[in-house]
Parts: sequence; C-alpha cells; structure tokens
Amino acid sequence: MTENNNNNNNLFNNDASMLDIHDNDDVQQHDNANLTQSFSAMNVDSPNELEGEADNTTNELIPQPDLLPDATTLPQQQGRHHRSALIFDEDEDEIPPYTNHNEHGAGSLSDSASDSDSDLSSVSSNSNMQQQQQQQQQQQQTPAPVAPAPTPTTNPTNSTRSNMVPVDITWQQGGNKVYVTGSFTGWRKMIGLVPMPDQPNILHVKLQLPPGTHRFRFIVDNELRFSDYLPTATDQMGNFVNYLEINEPPSSNTAPTTNTQQQPVIQQQEQFTQSLNDDNKLRDKPISARSRIALEIEREPDDIGNGFTRFRGETPLLKNIEYTQDIPAVFTDPTVMEQYYLTLDQQQNNHQNMAWLTPPQLPPHLENVILNSYSNSQGTNNENNSGALPIPNHVILNHLATSSIKHNTLCVASIVRYKRKYVTQILYAPLQ
Amino acid sequence: MSISREAGEKILVEQRLAVESIRTFLNSKTSYDVLPVSYRLIVLDTSLLVKKSLNVLLQNNIVSAPLWDSQTSRFAGLLTSSDFINVIQYYFSNPDKFELVDKLQLDGLKDIERAIGVDPLDTASIHPSRPLYEACLKMMESRSGRIPLIDKDEETHREIVVSVLTQYRILKFVALNCRETHFLQRPIGELDIISQQNIRSCHMTTPVIDVIQLLTQAGVSSVPIVDDNGFLLNVYEAVDVLGLIKGGIYNDLSLSVGEALMRRSDDFEGVYTCTVNDKLSTIMDNIRKSRVHRFFVVDANGKLMGVLTLSDILKYILLGTN
Repeated sequence: MTENNNNNNNLFNNDASMLDIHDNDDVQQHDNANLTQSFSAMNVDSPNELEGEADNTTNELIPQPDLLPDATTLPQQQGRHHRSALIFDEDEDEIPPYTNHNEHGAGSLSDSASDSDSDLSSVSSNSNMQQQQQQQQQQQQTPAPVAPAPTPTTNPTNSTRSNMVPVDITWQQGGNKVYVTGSFTGWRKMIGLVPMPDQPNILHVKLQLPPGTHRFRFIVDNELRFSDYLPTATDQMGNFVNYLEINEPPSSNTAPTTNTQQQPVIQQQEQFTQSLNDDNKLRDKPISARSRIALEIEREPDDIGNGFTRFRGETPLLKNIEYTQDIPAVFTDPTVMEQYYLTLDQQQNNHQNMAWLTPPQLPPHLENVILNSYSNSQGTNNENNSGALPIPNHVILNHLATSSIKHNTLCVASIVRYKRKYVTQILYAPLQ
Repeated sequence: MSISREAGEKILVEQRLAVESIRTFLNSKTSYDVLPVSYRLIVLDTSLLVKKSLNVLLQNNIVSAPLWDSQTSRFAGLLTSSDFINVIQYYFSNPDKFELVDKLQLDGLKDIERAIGVDPLDTASIHPSRPLYEACLKMMESRSGRIPLIDKDEETHREIVVSVLTQYRILKFVALNCRETHFLQRPIGELDIISQQNIRSCHMTTPVIDVIQLLTQAGVSSVPIVDDNGFLLNVYEAVDVLGLIKGGIYNDLSLSVGEALMRRSDDFEGVYTCTVNDKLSTIMDNIRKSRVHRFFVVDANGKLMGVLTLSDILKYILLGTN
C-alpha cells in the first residue's frame, strides 16, 4: 500500500513531471527523496488500524495493467472530485463546514479501499504503470517490457509496510532514572533509558518503531519533561511534546536497474530481500500485525508462480539514475507518446489492447474528502484552542480543495508543509 | 511569628524563581516550536465583504482571522471583533450610509476606521523562529492580544501566514507545561496586577450601543454588568458583538445589553471571578482547564472590585518585578 500511495501521489500531483517519478524511484536511496513518502499510510497508533490495512492489501492484487491517461485530464478529474470537499453556507450559521470528515487521512484511505474492489484495481494498476514508466524513462525509446501481474499470495507492498525502523532515542539533560513514554506505547508503558557505554552522561534506548509520526515525553526522576534536542510541538490537548517523523528505512538494495529487460517486479522482489533482512532483526521482538504478514510472505516458497521465482539479490543493484530538469520527449511530443503506447500495445499479449485509451479510475482516496478534518467538530473545542488537527497523510498534501461557490464566495484550502509541520490553510475569497 | 515570616519569604523567593524559570523557558523556545504538528489556519481575502467575513468567523467558531491581500500577495492585518465594533459605530453615526456598510469590503475597513478616528487594523507580526518571549512582548503591544506569525517563502520571497498566537494560547501553554506555575503562591492582591481604578461597568438596562461605545472608549475587551449595588451579574464581551450583528443587522441596536445577551451562544463559558487572596497558581490552573479570558475580582459578597485580564497576567509573567 505504501508504495502505491507514493505512486499515486506523484501521478496526481498537478505537475506530475519526470522529476517526481525519479523521486519515487529513488525513495529508498536518498534521504531527501524519503520526504515524499515520509507520511505513508502507517501513521497509526492502534493495532486495529494495522489489521485493517493489512486486510485491504490482500484485496489489492487484481492484476490489471492499465495505462496512463493523457496527463491533462488529471487536474480536471481532480477538480471535479474535490468540489464537494468544502461547504460554504451562509444561511446555516455555526455549522462547521467540515464536520463529516474522517478523522484521519490514513483511515479514510483504508475505508474507501475496502469499499470498492474496482478502485483497488486501479490503484495497483497505477503502480504497475508507474513502473513501466520508470523503465521507459530510463530506456527512452527502447520498448518497455510487460509488467507481469503479481500473484495474489505475494503482494510485495506488504513487506514494505512491515518495516520497523530502529530509532535511537537519547536524553542528555541529566537525571538518574530516565524513561520515555509516548504514542508508541499508548502513553502507558514507560521504557527505561540506559547510559551510553562511551558517554555516561547521555542515556539512550533503541526502539523499533513503525514509520509515521510519534509523540513522546521523558520521565526524568519522576518528572515529565521534554528534550531540548529533539523537535517539539503542542498536541491537541495543548501538551508540549517531542515528536519524531520516522521515514521508511533507506535500503541499499532496492534500486531499479537500467538494464533492459529486467522485470518491473524487480523492485517488489527486492522488497522481499529487505523483509528478509528485517526478519532477522524482528526475530526476538514482539511481532506486530504488519511484521507477521511480512514473515508469512517470507515463509512462502520461492516459486511465486507465473514462472517467476523470488529474487534473492546478492549484489546490490546500483542505480544509475540522475535527476534532470528535462521532460522526456515521451511526455512532450505527442508522436513519441503515441509510438510509446503503440509499442506497449504490441508487447502486450494479454488482450488489453488500447487499454491506455481509457483513463484509470481515480485512486480511492480521492473519492473521499481530502481536507484535514476539524477536530473541534467533535466538541473538543475547549481543549483544542490552537486548531490542532490530525497529522495528514502525505498523499493529501499540496492539493487544492475548493468549495462550491455560494453567495459569490469561494473557499479554497490546501494542506502544505511548513518546515517539519503541516498547515491546513483555508482561504475565503469572493469571486470577482 | 518568625516561622510565618520565614514561610512568607520562602513563598516570595519561590515565586520569583518560578517566574524567572518561566521566562527562561519562553526564551528558549520559538513560536514555531510550540505549534502543533498539524493545525488549521483560516485566512480571509481582503476583497471579501465585511458581512461575509463575519459569517465565516461564526461558522468556523473563531473570533479573529488574518487577512490576505491577493493583489500584493501580502499579509494585510488581523481582523478582530474590534473592527466590527468600528463598523457598528460608523454606521451608528452615519445612518444614511447603509449602502456603503452593506457593500463594505475588508480592505475598506481602514477608511471606516479613519472616519471615526480609531487605530487601523493591527498589522504587527513576528517571524516564527523568534523566541516565544519576544512574540509575547509584541503580542501585548497589540490591541487584540494576538500576534500573527509571518514568514517568507524561500523561493518566491512571498509572505506566508504561518499561524496566529493569542494570549490565551500562551498562558494555557505555560499553565500546562511549566510546572513552575505551582510555585506562584503569592496572593494576586500583593502583585499589583489588578486593574481596580476606572472599571467601566454597565447595567442590564444600558443600551447595547452604549456598551459597545464603552468597549472602544476604554480600549477593553469586556464590560462587566452590575446591579445597582455594584454586584457583578454578567459581562458583555467584544466577541459578543459578532453574534449581535449576525446576518448584517447593524441598524437594530436599540436593545438593552440584557436583551443582547440573549443572542449569545449556548456554549458561553460563563463569568470567572476571583478574590484578591487567590494565588496566581490557582488562576493558571483555571486557565489550563477553561477557556477563560479575564477574571473579575470580587469581594466576599460578590461586589465588583476590579478585573484581572490575560494581558495583566502575561505582563506580570514577562516583565513583573515583584
């Protein structure tokens, strides 16, 4: 799911340029690129949500390699679906316009995912498409290979989601008994810190945390404190806490290759290797729902059907990709684009001819209200005077949502990053 | 005897140390540090009609919003309840200008404010990476007890409205996160922070327009309502004006303040009182628990003695010397 989200994000960005796709390619390689997926669907605290998402991914495997629509149709679609996002109603006072929104970006994503199987297929097809594009962009006019459909038992994205990231949490502001507690333990359990071997003044503890944003505080000699050396924020209740945004782990062996005729599934297979490595780390830890799935996949036989065997890369496939400002001809020159799709068609022996003529369905998260929900609609007004909102899922960043125009007033909104925080900005303006 | 004096001195020292520690804390953090990881911000375009901006505020359950000039792509000030009060006053003295008031845009407020001779919109702001202490000082200078956080985009060099800090938000933050507030044990009567002179009050039968005028004349955010014997009954706040003129009714202000209070929404927090013997720690505890914007100081019988506003409290924490 994580990978799919990333792909979709790029696809549906208003400027879905090659740069974005490159970014996506290299997500596992570069810290910078990691930003693009830092808030993947894993921004979860409750195990239920974990389970829910896991369920969805098993549905997700309908192989249906659709092709990209003409890029210009995307913003229109987007606009149409966002239109209902906001309500501006002059007559009905005191109704917060966003009352019915889902609490959480990730939540709404998985909700809609389970609603409709056809939507899911479009998600996976988009990601297939993405991979084909990646190939295309590397090979320019070389015919792109066919993307074989993964078999239902081996969804590669599961393994990505199972990655727990080792995080070293340190405390360097004195005290004898230092514990850390936070959203990762439900604020109940306290985890003790131990002095570092070489620097006894610094206490630390290594935690295995799922990617996402984690809030925490330290308990230093029975006193609740926060670190001055870590990012801080105010939570919805107004408590000052430390927080960490944990990205997908960078891994050295998940590079897409420039070799021709490498299967697009290569990335997926590399995820398996990744999960294999993680497996060792996880062995003596309590296993989350997510990791359990990864382990199950790992225990599957190496033969994954369709004549493919699991890829056990010994040597890291070093990427040979550069960032560029130039838009490849396939996106700018209609004749090149046509040729590309015709070539794809010829390659495709799966009776999906001209499938690229039909645009893929919208990703399910776009069917839902994109804008971050107001928490004051739940009557927590009193405690939430700073307008704190749930942390948005990264797929909803930098989209422009609009209301329907009522009484000549338009309301537009978008969620953007400000440094390491997120602003859901809503602008009311008249039509002129 | 000497024991009690010793205890008194201990309280004195503890309070001084606590205040210093809170100041150090506010200096060590920036405004950015205390923002939530994710939050909302409602911005109004300056070409929006004033009456529509009122609806937006009421819908979103807010009493103030930063303005954005889309012509210049710049922050254009902070819209607060006092701007609406200015419009009311302007209309009250120029009843023939209904057309103008009805079609008034937010960027026309400055003309109204010039016409009635009051200060224009607050345009002060501060960069989010400045220390919180500095932001608080600047906030106290502003009429509205708020300070917008404005940054510049690195690429486009255009202004970005990041957030708006309020006195209540800062004080609640201090109350929640500075355990030092427990050591503020001196009675507030000793601290010389209560406004006791010149408290403008009104009666239930006072016309609401007089109360509104009182708000601007005295430069206060609320007027206490007392009975004939000076006992506190209720309060009329500047933000109550928003509900009063909801729907663009500027001309029907002949009603009394008591009648005007009937239009107040049900979630009104109530009137908070304290006595001169209460301690700042108790006050801060109340700020932490409830959305309170001022405390009326009453004597044992409930007679109004003075008022302790959030800016009085903030000023003491930031600058108080005793």
